Formats: sequence, structure tokens, C-alpha cells
Amino acid sequence: MDSLGERENHQELNIGINGNLNIDKLVADGKSKLNLDTGKDRGSTVLGKEEKDMAPMAGNSIHRSSSRPQLDLSGAAIQGNFEEKDPTILLPNQSDDISHLALDIGGSLIKLVYFSRHENQPVNDRSRRIIKARLGITNFNRRSFPILGGRLHFVKFETAKINECLDFIYSKQLHRGGMDSRSWQIEGPNTENTVIKATGGGAYKFADLFKERLGISIEKEDEMNCLVSGANFLLKAIRHEAFTHMEGRKEFVQLDSNDLFPYLLVNIGSGVSIIKVDGDGVFERVSGTNVGGGTYWGLGKLLTKCKSFDELLELSQRGDNRTIDMLVGDIYGGMDYSKIGLSASTIASSFGKTISENKEIEDYRPEDISLSLLRMISYNIGQASLISYLNALRFGLKRIFFGGFFIRGHAYTMDTISFAVHFWSNGQAQAMFLRHEGFLGALGAFLSYEKHGLDDLLVHQFVERFPMGAPYIGGNVHGPPLGDLNEKISWMEKFVLKGTEITAPVPMLPPGTTGLGGFEVPSSRGDSLRPDASKLNVGVLHLVPSLEVFPLLADPKTYEPNTIDLSDPGELEYWFTVLSDHMPDLVDKAVASEGGTDDAKRRGDAFARAFSAHLARLMEEPAAYGKLGLANLLELREECLREFHFHDAYRSIKQRENEASLAVLQDLLMELDSMNEESRLLTLIEGVLAANIFDWGSRACVDLYHKGTIIEIYRMSRDKMQRPWRVDDFDIFKERMLGSAEKKPHKYNRALLFVDNSGADIVLGMLPLARELLRRGTEVVLVANSLPALNDVTAMELPEIVAEAAKHCDILRAAAEAGGLLVDAMINVQDCPRERSSSVPLMVVENGCGSPCIDLRQVSSELAVAAKDADLVVLEGMGRSLHTNFNAKFKCDALKLAMVKNQRLAAKLINGNIYDCVCRFEAADNSN
Amino acid sequence: METVGTHVANSGDTELKSSDRDHVSHLSLDIGGSLIKMVYFSSGSSSSSEDDDDDDDDEKHNYLKDGINTSNHDGSRGKLHFLKFETSKISECINFISSKHLQHYGDQDDKDLASDENIVKATGGGAFKFADLFKEKLGIVLDKVDEMSCLVAGANFLLKAVNHEAFTYTDGQKDYVKINHKDLYPYLLVNVGSGVSMIKVDGDNDYERVSGTSVGGGTFWGLGRLLTKCQSFDELLELSRQGNNRVIDMLVGDIYGGMDYSKIGLTSTAIASSFGKAISEKKELDDYRPEDVARSLLRMISNNIGQIAYLNALRFGLKRIFFGGFFIRGHAYTMDTISVAVNFWSKGEAKALFLRHEGFLGALGAFMNYEKNGFTDITHQFMEQSCEKSNLTP
Repeated sequence: MDSLGERENHQELNIGINGNLNIDKLVADGKSKLNLDTGKDRGSTVLGKEEKDMAPMAGNSIHRSSSRPQLDLSGAAIQGNFEEKDPTILLPNQSDDISHLALDIGGSLIKLVYFSRHENQPVNDRSRRIIKARLGITNFNRRSFPILGGRLHFVKFETAKINECLDFIYSKQLHRGGMDSRSWQIEGPNTENTVIKATGGGAYKFADLFKERLGISIEKEDEMNCLVSGANFLLKAIRHEAFTHMEGRKEFVQLDSNDLFPYLLVNIGSGVSIIKVDGDGVFERVSGTNVGGGTYWGLGKLLTKCKSFDELLELSQRGDNRTIDMLVGDIYGGMDYSKIGLSASTIASSFGKTISENKEIEDYRPEDISLSLLRMISYNIGQASLISYLNALRFGLKRIFFGGFFIRGHAYTMDTISFAVHFWSNGQAQAMFLRHEGFLGALGAFLSYEKHGLDDLLVHQFVERFPMGAPYIGGNVHGPPLGDLNEKISWMEKFVLKGTEITAPVPMLPPGTTGLGGFEVPSSRGDSLRPDASKLNVGVLHLVPSLEVFPLLADPKTYEPNTIDLSDPGELEYWFTVLSDHMPDLVDKAVASEGGTDDAKRRGDAFARAFSAHLARLMEEPAAYGKLGLANLLELREECLREFHFHDAYRSIKQRENEASLAVLQDLLMELDSMNEESRLLTLIEGVLAANIFDWGSRACVDLYHKGTIIEIYRMSRDKMQRPWRVDDFDIFKERMLGSAEKKPHKYNRALLFVDNSGADIVLGMLPLARELLRRGTEVVLVANSLPALNDVTAMELPEIVAEAAKHCDILRAAAEAGGLLVDAMINVQDCPRERSSSVPLMVVENGCGSPCIDLRQVSSELAVAAKDADLVVLEGMGRSLHTNFNAKFKCDALKLAMVKNQRLAAKLINGNIYDCVCRFEAADNSN
Repeated sequence: METVGTHVANSGDTELKSSDRDHVSHLSLDIGGSLIKMVYFSSGSSSSSEDDDDDDDDEKHNYLKDGINTSNHDGSRGKLHFLKFETSKISECINFISSKHLQHYGDQDDKDLASDENIVKATGGGAFKFADLFKEKLGIVLDKVDEMSCLVAGANFLLKAVNHEAFTYTDGQKDYVKINHKDLYPYLLVNVGSGVSMIKVDGDNDYERVSGTSVGGGTFWGLGRLLTKCQSFDELLELSRQGNNRVIDMLVGDIYGGMDYSKIGLTSTAIASSFGKAISEKKELDDYRPEDVARSLLRMISNNIGQIAYLNALRFGLKRIFFGGFFIRGHAYTMDTISVAVNFWSKGEAKALFLRHEGFLGALGAFMNYEKNGFTDITHQFMEQSCEKSNLTP
């Protein structure tokens, strides 16, 4: 997968540690006009080496596109050290009309959204081109996508520290279109033409500052416009963007983008705007209130002497509002006023208790004051919004979304708002929140560029990734961008040392409050968490225009890839333990795959720390990264490995097993050929199931490896298979394939085989099954991972394996030739592939993933094309047929084959035991 | 009734002709979270001397009083007295009752049944909370009457029986509104006490609490006390009179560099965020004038109440919104802010109406609750007198 392949080319992480990493690189070049904020204890440790690595993204970001502003590539030259992996490319003639950056400068925070592009790597692999010709893909980057793949980054700065923001923009050269190059002079000829879109009050206030420091002009965009277009974009383009929050629990909501309007958008900034949105660009501010985030902070500051909004919020976490608020019980002598539905702990009057006591401010705990204030304001906003909502119900309003900086993912705030909405609507309405709540305006400003090309993007074209460090910092930027891998590792090492208290949740005193803005204390799990634990992290949005929804899904709208629901805390804990236990072994493999050098060990350690931090964060707040499924966890691990440049931890193991399996393939094929049709089909399916035991992702199987050779284990495993299997639809499948007294055999036109592991699994399991299908006149497409994940076979490795196997088998050879997999043997195949071959073809396509699981809403476009004529889908292995897709329904026949190598999963899913087998056959679902 | 210790009757006096003097009951209480409101009836014969006593008491006690004059059929006059005490100083209230022997003027008809018990109608949360105290100190049994029904009964009584009870307040201009009894319902009653209740009233005893907010008078006073060190609600109100909210509130112009955000109808002087300016300034509480703080606070709360009230009226299609409760206190700026809020959000289509007896709805409602109070069929028996005509005491 192109977009996944070059992630190390670009840094999305920008962090510093307590001033150790700080901003002095810009001072060094002496040409900067920036007024640098020289921190108190700025360390001198860092940034010399960053000089040469600063611009890693440039290498792959060049592309010409007719509908986008173009880069001028004339005179491009690699700059600096040619030994470098991803050298910066100097583009001396690039003009400045590309804007990748938009800002929302609010009263307290600056939100910045910027886009970094990368080009799909040219597909030079000859065999792949032949397959594409075969599948009729004429132009891989075809169709209506004017935009390239790329990434949307979301970062925040405090407005008070606007210099950090300016430095950041400068260091990434975002004001130059993000094509940062060291050699560019800030006084370059065209800077004064650069125009950056911005919204928020600060867009007016700081316009001169931006002009002076960065030489860029700010073009002000209307705030409401931006909010609305940002919200519309997020709600349409990001799956599970919206969630509800009741009693400390988040539930992500899948919205139908065709059924979105009209909705009510409540933006809680310093003040509150309540906007009815009827469509793209069609909205009306129906109400608002001046009691908002600014009131909370302003009053809170006066009352508690807190220095920041976050400090004030944190205080509230430990507060008890009963000392300040007059509760119904205070008035009624501890009794409820149940006649009108008020319980004793309902707040009758915010701050009302301070009337009757002879105390002064100093006599009250700031914590209590902060909490009373927070509830008063949240509740009030919820109520005002709800009434606006009820009024707007007459216009067919469907939903009410809350966004803006005041919320900040703060659990009590969201709970209070949710409660107010729930209470006053008698449960009829539900408040929803947005994961990217703080970025609506900035995103809207970004979208206001005329040619951003994002208009037509669809939800399946976004992949959100959480880079290293995300568990600690979310979207906040502390310090300068990290330059290279080495700095990342250093950061990880240092941060984990200093930040252990963050990795492990800090137990805190339960707030012990009862009256939450008119409702009972939420049974929040947040008692033992750090104050901002409920905050959601915002990852980097990867735009991969080539991703598509798998066309054979029966109902993409209701499709849910994950079988296991990790919102069940027990499940979550179990899988976290599994992943943690597996980690040392994985690190060993990874380090060994890179030669076991000191550098590899250091990277291995950093990987382990980074991934552990992700896990700790997710244990703390399972919704931190959005809706969490097992597939996401497994993918996160692979991403994390790649981030530390472990591209293929199992490379040597895979190679060894492939060789060992290929050595015995001939014997197996002879054995199969000696059987009659019926027992051959059974033996083949048994073989797939037996070979699926070779799985380095399974602890149980790793232990097995020490007990015998591959073929021994394979035969033993196959011989032990006693039908009926735990899930056994073999007879139905057999009848479909071979026919029966009543039915004729069915000849499939094209089968998609989603393969799993290297070694025996592919060679002794899936290839023989593919061969049988080919023999029966069915075209076979082997669907394999785009990127390595554990010991899964990849689309890049398959042609070689097939070629080797073809040496022993005419059927495979003819089919592989026809499918263009044996390019070395054929000179002109690419010119006339169809004429040359009479055999049905065997082809290989990549699935678009780098994970042991597969989300069929986001597959490669070539798989989508290959699926067009397919009438059989075979999903093999735990990751793709059990962890995910066990319940998936297809428009064509589907066969799901796996050996369950995990006791808990076996018990949970099929009420069975470890090593039980699943052979599930489902005829085409034509209900939709 | 604006300042403590001063005997003012700005709501005027109302003459009442009651059909049967013997059945007039004399005392009812509304014991709220912040204030105790008291209504009692005194017969015309003794009213003059009692009022002289009152004046003496007023100087000693923190209570406020007001009155509606009544007269019965045979021409002998009576008077409804309206007083309030701070709930935290409940002993003053008890002393007052005791000194006036009001405890003996509860439901006298019950005397035969419960020989030595005096039953007094009371509402508000304190009727529950302080029941034992009243029993112990005064031998009074508080007969608890539902708070909402009292509010509604009190408001209905006033709106029907007292001419010129309701008025609008715009730019310092009071305009009394003539309410047609037949066209009174439905309306929204917003009672701003410590907290705020919003009640949709559809008829004499037909109502529903549709909304409410905890941001009310108690919040103003409580927060104000913490922020300004004022000693009383009225002091705080008085302070706010001299304040300038622009010092602390973030205005639209502050955000947009002095410009309006006219696209959405906000002028540069509109408040974008109450207290929002305190964020960006390096000032502490002591650096702000208490007057300005009080002003911002008052605007925040009044504006908010006005807005939520309007939204509810819109929701139920109610034509009139009446604001009552002790928070308002006839305070010009409060009423002005509420009026402006309602006017702004309704785009001029709705108007805020205020009640002269705003603080006594509950107590009056409790008073109405005496079965034989003689006011049951009030509309026919009251004879209005112009408020300008009569003064404090007969």
C-alpha cells in the first residue's frame, strides 16, 4: 500500500520535554526574523542534527495534477547528503501558490490544520502491471481523484504562546506550501504573495504579526462558515466522528452521510453559538449565549487564581459542588421535591449556598468553586441548546452536536451537557460530541481553499493513524518538530523516563460528589484517572484516494469488521494482556530481522515503549483513538513497528518456512492427484485448516514450532482433524462445487482467496486449493497484504512463491503465466497477455492493508476491480475470517476457513476449544 | 421594597372587599432557600397602629414589608401585608411572628378540632426544613402547600384581581399592561428565586413546570458575594447600578477588532462571552471594581434567564412571559436586561412582563390556599384602587 509504505518520510510528531528540546535551531541560521521564545531552561542538547533531517517529507510529495496548483519541478535537485534515506529535494522554482495550511486563532487556542502530500509510488513492478492489464485497470491513478494521497495534521497551540506556533510553521515551512527546504531563504522573492486562510477572532488581531514574522497574509474566513463546513466535512468523511457521552461512557455513532441534515451545531467557544445546519453552506445561527467557555475561565480565574483553562478544569475534577451550590435537599431539608421530578441532589441554585454562609472566597476550596462553575455553565449550555433544538424540531431536526474548545473531551463537561439535554427532553434527545471538536473552524478554513480537492472524498478514503507519542500529547504541540528517527527514539527514551507517571494512571481521590448539575453523580469510571484521561486523541488523517469499499459486501452501511467488541472491559483487558505478553517475542524477532545491532536494539526498545504507551492510554480510555476494535489494535502494533523502521520483522522466518514448505509441495500435490474428486476436496480443505496452524501471531503455535518440522506438524495436524469440525459447512460447499444427485456442479467464474500466513499456510494450504479451483476453470485471485504484518504473506512476496511452486506443477505454471506472475519466463507477455494464454489465470492483488485483519470498507482499488467479476470469496485465517468478517455478509458465495488458535476466542465465538476449526460456507446474500 | 429597613411600598396598595371578614385567614409563609416571604392580613381597625409598630420594627429587623389594602363589604378595611426575611436569619422571622402574635391568626376554624395547635399555610422548601422549628418556637403547625401550585395561584390571583399588576419595562419606561381576564391563558410564568422555575400556566389550577435553571438569584448573590464582598443582595444590586460591564465582558468588538459581526446580527457591543475579558488580562480579582463585576454578573444572569424563558415560550407558542421572584426586585437594570434579551431573541415579537408583587407569588398562593379565605372568588369582590392614589398607610 503506497500510503503506508513511506510513513517515515514525514514527521507528524512534534514534541519536547520540559524545555529540553527547544527552539533554537532557527536562531542558528541568523536569518530568521522570528522572535524566538527562549524558554527558561532551554537545553542545548538537540538540534544540530535536525538541520539535515528537517525536511523529510519532501521526497515523495511531488506530483502533477491538472486540477491542483502545481509544483514547479524544474531545477529540482537532491540536497545534502546523498546517503540519506529520504533526502530533501530542493525545488528552487516552486512558486508559493500552494497553501497547505489553515488556522483558527481563538481567544485561548490556536488550531492549525495542515496538509502534507505524498505521491503514490510508481508501480514499476512488471508483473503487477501485467495483472493490471489483465484486470483491465488501465490507469491506476485514474478516475476522478484530483487529489493525491496525503495527510491532514491537527495541532494546537496556546494563543498566549503564539510564537511557538509561528516557529512551528516556519520550521515546517508550511507557509511555503509545506515543501520545506533548508536552503530557502525566508526573504525569498515570493513570500509576500503567500496567503493563508484563517478564522477566529485572532485572524484579525494577529494579521500583522503573521505578515511581519512570516511574510504571509492572512485571509479571513467567516467563522460560522468555517465551523459549519468543518463539521459537515467531519461528519461525512470520518467514520465514527460523533459520539454520545453518558455517565462517563462514550458510544461512537455511525452516521449516514445521506441523512445528516438538518442538524443543530452548538459551538462552545468563549461564547456559544447555536447553528441550524441545513446543508453544505446552508445554515442559520438560531441562538447563542454569552455564558460560555470564556465565562468559565474568566470567572474561574477571578475566583480561584488559576493560571490556565486546563488547570481550572483539572481542579474541578477534585471538587465537590455541594459546598457551594444550593441543592434541592438544602431547601427541602434533605427531601426530594419529587412532584416535579427534582431529587434532593439537584442543584436548585448555583452558588446559592454561599449566600447564607459567612465565608469569603478564601474559605472555599478552589476545586469546589471550579466544579460548581463548570456544572453551572455546562448545564446552562445544554439546556439552552436543547430548547433551541426542541424549537428546531419543527424543521425536522435530527441531531444536536456540541463542539468547541470549552468541551475539550472533559468527561464531566460532556456528562453535564448530555444530562441537561437528556433531562429536559425527557430522554427524547441525545447530545453528541465530535472527536475533532476543537478543529471545526480550522478545518473549515482549510476547506475554504478553492482547490483543496477534498470535496469529493469519501469516508473510506481516510485512515486515521496515531503516531508515537500520541498517548502523551494528543494534538498538542510542545516544542519543535522532531527531525528524524533518532530523535524520535531519544524522545521516547527520555519521555518515558520522565513520564512514567503518565503511562501509569495516577489514582486520585474520588470526587465523591452527588449533584452534577441537576443529576446524580455519573458512575464515571474516571475516578481513578488523571484529569484529562477522557480527552480524545486526534490522530493524523491519511488520505488514500485509492481506497475503496469492497464491492462484494452485501451491505456496506451496516458492515462492521470487528467481531469482538472491545467496549466490553473484560475483552479489552484480555487482548491487552495477550498483546503485552507477546511483545518481548515480537521485539526479539524485530531486532533480529534488522541484524540484531545496537541500533536495532535501541529501536526495539523504543518500539516497545511506544506501543506500551499506546496500550496504557487505551486501557485508560478505550475511546481515546475513536472506536476501538481488535483489528485496530493489531494494526496499531504494525504501524508502531514501521514507525521505528522495522519493516518486516518476520522476514527471515517467512523465507525459511516458504522454502521448507515448497520443498514438500510436490509430494503433497502427488498425494492429492491420486485421490478422487470428493476426497481430494475434503483433503484440500483439511489442508487449508491444518496449515493455518502455522501462525506466529498465536502464542500457542509458537510453542508448537519447537516440537517438529513443518511437514510433520502439517501432516499431524491434518490427520488429527476429525469431522465434524466445530463449524462445518463442508458438505454444503462440496455439493456446490461437485454437485449432487439433485444439483449440477457449480463452476465459479472467479474466486478471491484472501490468504494469511507465509510458509505452510500459503504453500501447502491455499496454493493447492487455488490449483483445484483453476483446474475447474475458475480464475483465481490471491489477495494478500500490501505491507508485512507478522508472518503474513505479502502481495510482493507471492509472485516469487507462486513461481517456485509452478516449477512442480503444470496447472499452476500455465495459470501463473496467464496471470502474468511469471514475467521472467515470458518476454512479451505484457503486450498481449490474453492472446498468449489459454489457461484461466492465477493472479495476485494487494488488499490495501498492513494488518493481520482486514476492514473491507477500505481496500485497494485493484482489489475492488478484481472483485467485479468474482463470484466466490474465500477468507482464510483468524485475522481475516474470525477477528474480522466472521459476521460479514457478501453478495457472492463466501467460504471462511480458520483454525482457532486462541482458547478464549474459540469459547466466545464458536463455543469450542483451541485448535477447533471453522469451515463456514455462506451462499450469496442477495437480500440487499 | 428596595432596601433593607426602609418601609417602601412601591407596588402600591390594593383595596379589597371581602365577603365575609370572619373567614379571612391571617398568615401564610413562603420559606425559600434565600428568603422567607410572609403575607398576613390585618383588619382595618388596627392597621394604622400596627403600621406604626412596623416602622419601629423595620429599623431593628432585616425585613421588608409591603401592603395591599382590603376592605370588606360592610366597608371596614383590611390590609394584606407583605414582608420578607433572609432565610439564614429565620429567628428574626420567628421573633416577628411572635411579637405580632400572628401565630394565632392561622386557620382559626381548625381551633376547635386541634385545640392548641395553630395551623399556618406555608410553601417553599423551608416549609419542610423548618417545620420542627416553627412547632417548637411558636407552636405552629406548618401546613405544607405545593410550591408550584402556590406560585401559579398567586400569579393568577394578582393578574386577575389586581389592576396594573403587570408591566413592561423598556429603556427605563414602565408601561402597565391591561390584561383581559378571558385572554390570560396560556402564559409562561418565570419565577426567579434562588433558582429559576419556568411554568406553563393553562388555567386556574392547570399548569406544568416546563423548564428551569439553577442560575438564578442565588447565583447572583452567591457569586456576587464571593466576588465583591458585598454584605447583602441589595448592596450588590446597588453596586451593579454604577458598574460598566465592558471592563470584564468580552464583547463582539473585542474579538473582531472593534467591528460588528453583522452577518449574524451581532453588534460590536454585544456580549460575546460574559467575564470573557478576564481571561486575557493579567488582572486579579482585586484589580477589578466591584461595581463592574456586579454589573457583568447581573447582565449574565438576567440575560440568560430572559433567553431561556423566551426559548421556552417559543417552544410552547406562549404569547406572554411574566417574570416574578425576589431576584428582580423591581431593579431597573435587571428588568431592562431581561426585556432586551427577550426582545432580541424574539426579534421584537415577544415582550417580558413583570409583576409588582413579584416576590410574593408563593406566599400569596399559600394564603389563597386557606379554604375559606374569602378570596376564592376574588375577581368579583376586589375593588381596585389606583396604585398612585393610595399611599402606604390609610
